[in-house]
Amino acid sequence: MFAAWNPSQPEISDLIIQHDPVTLERRPVRKDDVRAVFAKLGNQQAVRVVDALPDRAGVLDAEAIDRLFVVVHSEMQRLAEEFYHGGRVWELLQAVIGAIRATRPTIGAANRERLRVVDIGCGIGYTVRWLAARTPLASQGVDLVGLDLNSALINEASRLARQENLPCRFVHGDAFSPANAANIYLSTGVLHHFRGDDLGQFFRRHELPETQAFLYYDFQPSFLAAPGSWFFHVVRMRTGLARHDGVLSAVRVHSAETLVSTARAASPGFASGMYGRKIWRTPLPRVFHTLVGIRRPLIPEFRRALGHRVGRLDELA
Amino acid sequence: MTLLLLYLLATLDGGLCGFRAFAGRSALIYKRMYYARAVLRGAIAAQVASFLSLFLLLLTFAVSHHHAELRADLESSAGRMLWVFLPYAAAVVINLAFRALPSTDIRASTSVMVLGPLTGARPFVMIAGVLYGIWSARLLETRLLGIFVLLAMLSLEALLDRIATNRQHHDLASAA
Repeated sequence: MFAAWNPSQPEISDLIIQHDPVTLERRPVRKDDVRAVFAKLGNQQAVRVVDALPDRAGVLDAEAIDRLFVVVHSEMQRLAEEFYHGGRVWELLQAVIGAIRATRPTIGAANRERLRVVDIGCGIGYTVRWLAARTPLASQGVDLVGLDLNSALINEASRLARQENLPCRFVHGDAFSPANAANIYLSTGVLHHFRGDDLGQFFRRHELPETQAFLYYDFQPSFLAAPGSWFFHVVRMRTGLARHDGVLSAVRVHSAETLVSTARAASPGFASGMYGRKIWRTPLPRVFHTLVGIRRPLIPEFRRALGHRVGRLDELA
Repeated sequence: MTLLLLYLLATLDGGLCGFRAFAGRSALIYKRMYYARAVLRGAIAAQVASFLSLFLLLLTFAVSHHHAELRADLESSAGRMLWVFLPYAAAVVINLAFRALPSTDIRASTSVMVLGPLTGARPFVMIAGVLYGIWSARLLETRLLGIFVLLAMLSLEALLDRIATNRQHHDLASAA
């Protein structure tokens, strides 16, 4: 079990789906190559999960892997529902939108330029669909868009949104390309996938003229994170892939200090800081914390819009 | 009264098993009806298990030569089971009630810190409750009935999970 908690290894899901970084086309993945990564680290739990994945002549069956990803993401959505994640995103997002509208009224005003919110690595689009279903954003001049590099997940997100008639859309592509650039970027559980220099590289891409803020949610590291996540995944998740990667995610997460220092160094055009690290004013850590990045002129209105919740916001610098 | 309480607890447990079996399988946003149907399926499955148990109980009575002794033995065993099952059910219900509070932190905390562990403990609570109930039973019939009830309730979640898995595969295949 403990080899599976080694934070220096990738998650299984990082390896079993590969895309060409330019064309985003799916690349074939050899099962033995993935297996070897975990066998070398002595991670037998991961090896068993990889062994069970369907393959054709040693190459992972792309369709079966896509179906598995949809199942896993549905399980992950259940966790998001239990953590009331949609409401947590809405709590911060409405303050950011309020600040943008108060400070820069031409952006996102109704009947003028629409405000675009993009969820990076949206998976099956729970956050975007929740916002479209439960908030008045779409009728207030806000485009809700989910992006992911996995086309199967994007197709499923689009299907689910169509089924419920939700005013949002999903795109297979790069979130920072000119066609997809956003006023506000969101993500959940994505930051820890960027390791080493890639994290700084990710933040450097935010320096777009139209981008006003980013809100990135991820697990918060703590001494309880690994055992707590392990127990919760054993009880709640059904697939071996979700059980393995969910726990590994919790131990691979970046500390608040790493996130803030990297964001400040790589995106100097934004003031960055953490939000919602503790439950009320107790020392108890929340399961998720949020990295907030916001253009400096928006800060006074953002703090005002947060109201009594401003105490949850660390220093923005 | 004791048997009625056990029956109500079994129905509650079945409903919650139904919810858990179907949770995480539908990624829609609006799914109150989906969950209502899941709870109903679980409760119906619990009725099947309860009526099978009742049938077995009546059959045992029919073939037994010491009705009064069997009745007393069954009632005292069932009463002892309640000492384990009632506190567990109360903990579950109280924490479910906490989820009505308008605080996301309190509601999420009930999942992380209480309902998750209580779900994990369910099979052990079932085993502990039945064993405590039948441990000092005088009659073999009482012990066998207790074990049957235990197996029925333990297999309930597995059965519902199988149904939910098949349903999910069917839905995914239809969507594709």
